Amino acid sequence: MRPLKRTSLIVGGLMLVTVFLWSTPFIWTLVASFRPDSGGGIDMASLWPDYKPTWANFAEAFESGDFAVYYLNTAIVAFGILVVQIVTISLAGYAFARLSFPGRDFIFYVFLLQLMLVPPILIVPNLSMIVDLGLYDTLLGVMLPYFASAFGTFLMRQTFRQIPRDFEEAATIDGAHWWQVLWHVLLPMAKPGLVAFSLVSLMAHWNEFLWPLMVLNDPSNQTLTVGLAAFSMGTEGGKEWGLLAAGTLLVMFPLLALFAVFQRQFVNSFMFSGLKG
Amino acid sequence: MRWLPSLASAAAALLLPALALAQTKIDFFFPVPVDGKLAKELTRLTKVYNDSQKDVAVTPVYAGNYDDTKVKAQAAAKAGKPPAVALMSANYLLDLKLSGDLLSLEPMLKADGTTHDKFLADFWPALHANAFVDGELYGVPYQNSTPLLYYNKEQFKEVGLDPEKPPQTWAELVADAKKLTKDGRWGFQVAGGYDYIGWIMQTLTMVNGGRFYNEDYGGEIYYDVPSTFGAAQFVEDLIYKHKVMQPGVLDGGAVSANFLAGKVSMMILSTGSLSFVRDSMKMPYGVGFVPKNVRNAVPIGGGSLVMFKGISDEQKQAGWKFIKWMTSAENLGAWSRFTGYFAPRKSSYDLPEMKEFMSKNPDAKVALDQLPYAGPWIATYQTVAVRKALDDAMQAVMNGKLKAAQAVKDAQKNADALLKPYVDQTALKLP
Repeated sequence: MRPLKRTSLIVGGLMLVTVFLWSTPFIWTLVASFRPDSGGGIDMASLWPDYKPTWANFAEAFESGDFAVYYLNTAIVAFGILVVQIVTISLAGYAFARLSFPGRDFIFYVFLLQLMLVPPILIVPNLSMIVDLGLYDTLLGVMLPYFASAFGTFLMRQTFRQIPRDFEEAATIDGAHWWQVLWHVLLPMAKPGLVAFSLVSLMAHWNEFLWPLMVLNDPSNQTLTVGLAAFSMGTEGGKEWGLLAAGTLLVMFPLLALFAVFQRQFVNSFMFSGLKG
Repeated sequence: MRWLPSLASAAAALLLPALALAQTKIDFFFPVPVDGKLAKELTRLTKVYNDSQKDVAVTPVYAGNYDDTKVKAQAAAKAGKPPAVALMSANYLLDLKLSGDLLSLEPMLKADGTTHDKFLADFWPALHANAFVDGELYGVPYQNSTPLLYYNKEQFKEVGLDPEKPPQTWAELVADAKKLTKDGRWGFQVAGGYDYIGWIMQTLTMVNGGRFYNEDYGGEIYYDVPSTFGAAQFVEDLIYKHKVMQPGVLDGGAVSANFLAGKVSMMILSTGSLSFVRDSMKMPYGVGFVPKNVRNAVPIGGGSLVMFKGISDEQKQAGWKFIKWMTSAENLGAWSRFTGYFAPRKSSYDLPEMKEFMSKNPDAKVALDQLPYAGPWIATYQTVAVRKALDDAMQAVMNGKLKAAQAVKDAQKNADALLKPYVDQTALKLP
């Protein structure tokens, strides 16, 4: 038993080190955000809170931008995109996985080509279309290009294909239509895929910077990342680290809270299996 | 007659919607190159302007940093929604003109019954070159800076240097920096980050007697020449021969943080950092001219207000009106006091509030005294990429991966390749 115990100690120790390394940026941000007088001194680099904590940086960050509006706009964009995406990717994924029609595989591969495009080259064509549709400087304009997702469609196709056909056949024999099969049989079983995709999509659009910056003009339409950039991009002035750290925490906090609350569901969803006894 | 005011306000309430309809709406894109308070202040300023008159309604649009602002404005222009007014890095004007995005300001000057010479007479001469393309005015200087030497007076005293005498030449700079360097402290530092190092290199090249680029023609850049090579070698020597500068690439924020913390005794940074240093520095500090090797010189930096093609005639007039308001002596002076940039108009400094400010802050005076030696800022075809060719090579030098002699050769080769399409269309397009 001894060697095994030692191995688990080593593994545990290595994991602790990894956890520490991975959480260092977060710990630093947390410590720096409560540091008084954070104009930039040597102690700024410290990971240890050797000071009396202050809310001053958060107060200043809140002063620097209209965060209530930014939160609302970002939430509308990130969740709005997700809701529509879930509908489009499940339907498209189902079509590519289960329906047979001429040119299915060819269309699928063309669809996948989208993943190869670097988003910045699409800025001008996408923006032209948004302007033509009269959606310039609107949140819908930010959301629209993401309503269809090549990655999501791919993911859902693979997920559906992994589900044994027996389940659908059983439902079909009971007289279910294709949409009933999709809703009652396939989607519940594809939950791990949907949850994984939701995480990726929410993170990506919550944190997105360039596209909202291109589409939105009015300060009342601005999103969190653009608001944060307004006080973090200064290169000529000095960096006010405490303020930056506080602003960064403000931006990431909702996602962090969301993950903390739903952590169990996230993990559980990956273990879900239609074949459990 | 108590009912009169209420009658008037009722009439106003009826008339206002009609007036609002006649309003011209324009977008004003601006970057925030210094810090977040500026975004708020610019937003406040546009509100002041909007409230001051009824013909024009300006939407203030924060657009990232200088590069983002350029991308956003060009994308918006291509999509058919050009901003009427944008605050652009002063050296992007040529590039934006060549890509066909910018509106010449000459017709507006003509309509006002003036000429660009008369209009610019009140602006510092160093700013003129970057406002013109091919002899036509394309931008009005709004916020400008030059590089400046900052030094820690306390540490000067500590090592027996005269705290009132910052180094004037490269030789003095090296000698002082050697004395100031000791455990945990570097004698000197320049910012090495993206964009900043290019500006620093132009500065060192100019004080080394160089021109850096052809001010009159956008197809030539002078990297592989003695003046630029000398500057690059100087940077390499400061790090690896004299060992007075920290190896590696530090961005502007890191350099000022080290300076504030007393970890570096002298630095060259923008005058745009002056307000920040003044507010945050606990030890006594001084500022001086950028030390010279051949001559005193600095490039300008900062941004100008420009107008984009593709806007309606009403928007043109509205945008021009807004630019003139933004660049009045009073507003430029107030912006200068708020930000630390110098005011582009000479007459701003004749205003009482500016005189009071200058007497309270003698460091701002040094920045102003250096202005007569200032020259234009690199502006070529594909300015950003051409500048980045040297940025990349110099960062490799600072990291110890490349020798200065090779760095300027690499930078020249890459920059020439970028300039080639333009050169082929212009200087080498022979009959």
